[in-house]
Amino acid sequence: MKTAELIPAEVRARLGEFRLASRRALGGQGFGQHHSRSRGAGLEFAQYRAYEPGDELRQIDWKLYARSDKFFVREAERDSPMTAWLLIDATASMAQEDAARPGWSRLDAARSLAACLVELALRQGDRFGLLVVGGDGLKMVAAGSGPRHRDRCVLELRQLRAHGSWPSEAQLRPVWERIGAGDLAVLLSDGFDDGAISLIVRLAAARRDVFCVQLLTAEERDFPFQGGRRFIDRETGAELLADGPAARADFVERFKAARLALAARLATSGIRHAEYFLDQPLDAPLRRLFPARAGRATPESA
Amino acid sequence: MSLGLLLPIGLAALAALLAPLLLHLDRQSESRPTDFAALRWLSARLRPRRQLRLEELWLLLLRLLLVASVALLFAQPVLFGAQGGRPWVLVAPGVDAGSAPAQVSVPGAEWHWLAVGFPAIESAPPAAPQPLASLLREIDATLPVNTAVTVVVPETVDGLDGERPRLARRVAWRQVSAVGSEARLSVASDAALSGQKLATRPPQFVIRYAADRAASVRYLRAAAISWQVSATPADGAAQASPVLLKDAETGAVDAAPLTQPVPADARWLAWLAPGELPPAIRAWIENGGVALLDERAVLPAGVQPVGSWHEADGELLASSAAMGKGRVVILGRALLPETFPQLLAPEFPAGLRAALEPAPSPPQRAFSQALRPLPGGPQFPEVPRLVDSWLALLAAALFAIERWFASSARRGRAP
Repeated sequence: MKTAELIPAEVRARLGEFRLASRRALGGQGFGQHHSRSRGAGLEFAQYRAYEPGDELRQIDWKLYARSDKFFVREAERDSPMTAWLLIDATASMAQEDAARPGWSRLDAARSLAACLVELALRQGDRFGLLVVGGDGLKMVAAGSGPRHRDRCVLELRQLRAHGSWPSEAQLRPVWERIGAGDLAVLLSDGFDDGAISLIVRLAAARRDVFCVQLLTAEERDFPFQGGRRFIDRETGAELLADGPAARADFVERFKAARLALAARLATSGIRHAEYFLDQPLDAPLRRLFPARAGRATPESA
Repeated sequence: MSLGLLLPIGLAALAALLAPLLLHLDRQSESRPTDFAALRWLSARLRPRRQLRLEELWLLLLRLLLVASVALLFAQPVLFGAQGGRPWVLVAPGVDAGSAPAQVSVPGAEWHWLAVGFPAIESAPPAAPQPLASLLREIDATLPVNTAVTVVVPETVDGLDGERPRLARRVAWRQVSAVGSEARLSVASDAALSGQKLATRPPQFVIRYAADRAASVRYLRAAAISWQVSATPADGAAQASPVLLKDAETGAVDAAPLTQPVPADARWLAWLAPGELPPAIRAWIENGGVALLDERAVLPAGVQPVGSWHEADGELLASSAAMGKGRVVILGRALLPETFPQLLAPEFPAGLRAALEPAPSPPQRAFSQALRPLPGGPQFPEVPRLVDSWLALLAAALFAIERWFASSARRGRAP
C-alpha cells in the first residue's frame, strides 16, 4: 500500500488547508513557523519589541536595557523544527467496523489519518515519528524527517494489526523517553482504554502538546441494531446478549454522556480533542484540530 | 369458467410450505455475534425478546409461491368451461373442402374434417368410409355444451351404424353436393346389386366325411341342393326340380371321404369326423373358412363354443365359435334321423344355412337428408382442460426468479 492509497485523493487535495501547529509556540506573533528556544549562533535576528508582562525574563535583551533603560524582547525569525509524534492505538477494539461499510475499521481510519499527518509534517519540514501501542507493547519508528522517513512510517502503518489490549505503564516507559517537552503528540484511539487517556493526560501535564482524535463507529453513535444480538468485546472477551431496539435509547444516552465526560476531562487537561465517526469524511478531525487559517494561539476549544 | 382439481390429495404437498418458513425463521440473530467495544455502556438488563421473526420476506414470499405452485401441480388442476366460443364446422369426407366454405358460411368457425381425430380442414381429405355416426357422437360428447356445431354432408353418407345419431345438442345439418357424386352413385349401386346376389347365392359347400358318417351325408347334400333351388328364379323351379332331386342322390355337391383335399374356393365345409381337426383343415378355418363339425369333434384348446342354433323349444342343435378369421359350428348330436329328428323337417336347410352364415351387417349408407341427428341424446359431463402445463411454466419461472434473487449480490453478507 502506498501513501496514495492510505490518503484518499480528495483528502490529499485538501491537505494544504491544514497545518500542524504547536500550541507551545510562546511568541504568538513571531515570524517562524514554530517557537524556538535555541539561542545559538545561527539565530537570525528579527526584531525587538517592547516587553509585556508574561514574557520570560531571559528573553529580555539586557544589553539593550543597559543602553536604553527599557525592556526589549528579542525575537527570532528562523524556524526551529518541531517534532510530531503519532500515538496510534492498535488494540483489538480498533478492529471494529460498521456493518454498513465493511472494510473500513477504526484502525483503517487511524492509518489514513496518521498518513495525512505524516504528509503534513513532511510538507512543513518537521520531524515526525510513530508510536504504535498494541497487544505486543510499544512499536516505534524514531523521529526523523524527509520523504524516506515518510515511506518508512507508511510501511509501518500498513503493517499494523489490531490485537490485544492496552499494555501496562511499564511497557510504555519509552514513550516518555521519546516525546520530549514541547513536542506535538496526536493520539489516534477509540478512547475506551483508560490507560490511553491517562497517558495523554500526563503527557499534557508534562508540557507536551497533545491532540486526541477519538475514532468511533456510526453504530456506536446510532445503535441501529434490529433484533437480538450477542455483543462481544474483543479486547476483554466479554459477551452480552441484548435486544437492539430495547437497548437503543439507554445506550445512546449513556454513551453520549461518556463521550461528553471524556471531552470535558481532556479539555481540562488542555488536550485538544475531536471525535471522528467512521461515516464522516476523513479530514473532518483534521479540519477541527489543525486548521491553517485560525490563529495559532486561539485554537477551537474541543 | 371454474377451476377444479383432479387429485385433491395432491394439496397435501402444501405441507411443504413449512420448509421455507422454517428456513426463514430468524433463529440466528438471537445469538449473532457482533463486535462491539463500547460494551460497558450497554445495560445488561434488556435481554432479547423471544418472538418469531422472519428474515428476507420477499425471498420467503417467492419460495412460498414456488412450493404452492408445485403442490397445485400435484393436485392436477383443470379448467371447466374453458373453450366455449368458437363454433365448429365438421365436413364429412366426400365434400369438396374448397367449395364448402362458400356454400356454408359460419363466421369465425373452426373447420375440421369429420374423420377420426378431427383433422383440420387444411390437411388432406381423409379416406372415404369413416365411422360417421360414431364420430358425431364423439364430437357431441367432447365439445362443450355451448359450442355450436355445423355438419356439412354430401347427399349420401357412408359409415353409419344401426341407430340414427341422437345428440345432446342441436346440430346445423347442411347438405352440399359431393365431389363426383354421379360416378360415386353408380358405382355404389353396382356394389349394392352384387352384394344382393352374393347374399342370395349360397357359397360353395364341401362335405368331407369319415366312413362311419356316410349315412349323414345325404341329408347335408339335400340341404345344399335345397339352397340352390331356392336361389334359382321361381319360373324355372318346375323344370329344375326333377334334375335336382336326382342330384341329391348322386352328386353335384362336392361330397367325398376325408382323404380328398378341400378345393381352394370352398367357403363352407362339413367335416364329419370324430376326433381332432387335422392341421390343414385347422389352417383352412383360421384363414377364413366356416366349418360344420361332427358332434364328437375335439376342438383345439381355447375355443369355447356358445349355442347358436336352437330349436323352437329351446333345444340346442348346434353351437359355434370363432377360430382365427373363420368360424366353426359344432353339431349338438349325431346327424341321423334317430338322434336329430329335425333333419327330416322342411326347415332344416334354412336352419343349417342360418347357422353357417355370418350375422348380416347393419346398413351403413343413407341419404343424408334422412340422417339429420335427433335431439335428446345423452348428456355427457364436460371434458375439463388440464392447465398443468401453464402451471409448470409458472413454477419454472418462479424457480428461476427465486434462484436469481437468492444468488444475487444484493443479499450482501447473508449469515
